[in-house]
Amino acid sequence: MLLSSVILVLQETLEVALLVSMLAAVSHRLNYSMSWLPWGLCGGFVIAVLYAVNMGSIAVWFDYVGQEVVNAFAQITIAVILVLLPWTICSDENRHSLLFQWAAVIVLVLSIGREGSEIILYLDGFLQQEGKVQAVLVGGGIGFSIGISVAILLFYGLVGLPRKLGIATPILLLALFAGNMLAQASQQLTQADWLHSTGALWDTSGLIPEDSMSGQLLYALIGYESNPSLIQIIAYLAGTTLLLLVAASAKFWSTRASLQK
Amino acid sequence: MNVICKRSIPALLMLLLPLSLFSATPVVEIEIKDHLFLPSEIVIPADTKIKLLIKNLDPTPEEFESYELNREKVIGGNSKTVIFIGPLPPGEYPFFGEFYPKTAQGKIIVQ
Repeated sequence: MLLSSVILVLQETLEVALLVSMLAAVSHRLNYSMSWLPWGLCGGFVIAVLYAVNMGSIAVWFDYVGQEVVNAFAQITIAVILVLLPWTICSDENRHSLLFQWAAVIVLVLSIGREGSEIILYLDGFLQQEGKVQAVLVGGGIGFSIGISVAILLFYGLVGLPRKLGIATPILLLALFAGNMLAQASQQLTQADWLHSTGALWDTSGLIPEDSMSGQLLYALIGYESNPSLIQIIAYLAGTTLLLLVAASAKFWSTRASLQK
Repeated sequence: MNVICKRSIPALLMLLLPLSLFSATPVVEIEIKDHLFLPSEIVIPADTKIKLLIKNLDPTPEEFESYELNREKVIGGNSKTVIFIGPLPPGEYPFFGEFYPKTAQGKIIVQ
């Protein structure tokens, strides 16, 4: 019981924790205020509790696929905001700092709300059973701590990069994250039968199983899926490419603007 | 002309209704009881979309998860839910309950 709670909480924590470290690395590099972090964490916690408490009634929406639709909506929103985020980064003007803060808060609230609600539902199930609470809380605590540790490692790794790579690397990771979000949203909508189901294009489960440690880490970091469908791949590429295009054009316009000054 | 119109209007209206009302998507029921899937083995035809109707009879929530099927969904205690799977090629597709993985194990056999 201890081990499965370590794994479950780690899985749910890792994705959000890595997102926080990417955003924090960008924020740190640009000397933006970090005030988005406490707001995002608190807001996310509130939304996670609300989502968990109302899961029963949300689940029956749209003929029992409410959960998929809400998750997909959250994931698409996260992807859209992340795609636009480079516009607030690749410019020196002050007002963009505030836009970045807002974008980061919304993205965090939605991510924590979705993943956090699963942890809350999981823990709540054990609170009803006597004798198991302690093991599950200890396991969950260990999983949570591992997730946070990996995120701190990533943050210092990104912050320690040479100046030229210091923005490009987190932007690239955020681009993959945006692709991951759109791919997950397409998976949720396929599961709900709102999108036509297409078969798996390839299967790399023999190479890197999704339930292995590397599989889980790759899933959280770049959305690794061992047997993705065509729709998932298109969604992934769309999210990643769009973010990189926005980043490139923001860079182009800010360079042009500074040359004209 | 009039006759054709009268006949085709209901037909056109039917097209506007959600496909799910008319679709022959086969439904397969699975129950969760004492953190076990019942039945734990399900045989379904290849290349067919299936609607899994999962009833959680336990008071605790469970998460249906399958890497092979690319599916995951939380199911509240004492409630039911729907997950669409397929069309799939023949093979075995294991699934498990992520909240109680030691006991909640099963597989879908596609043939």
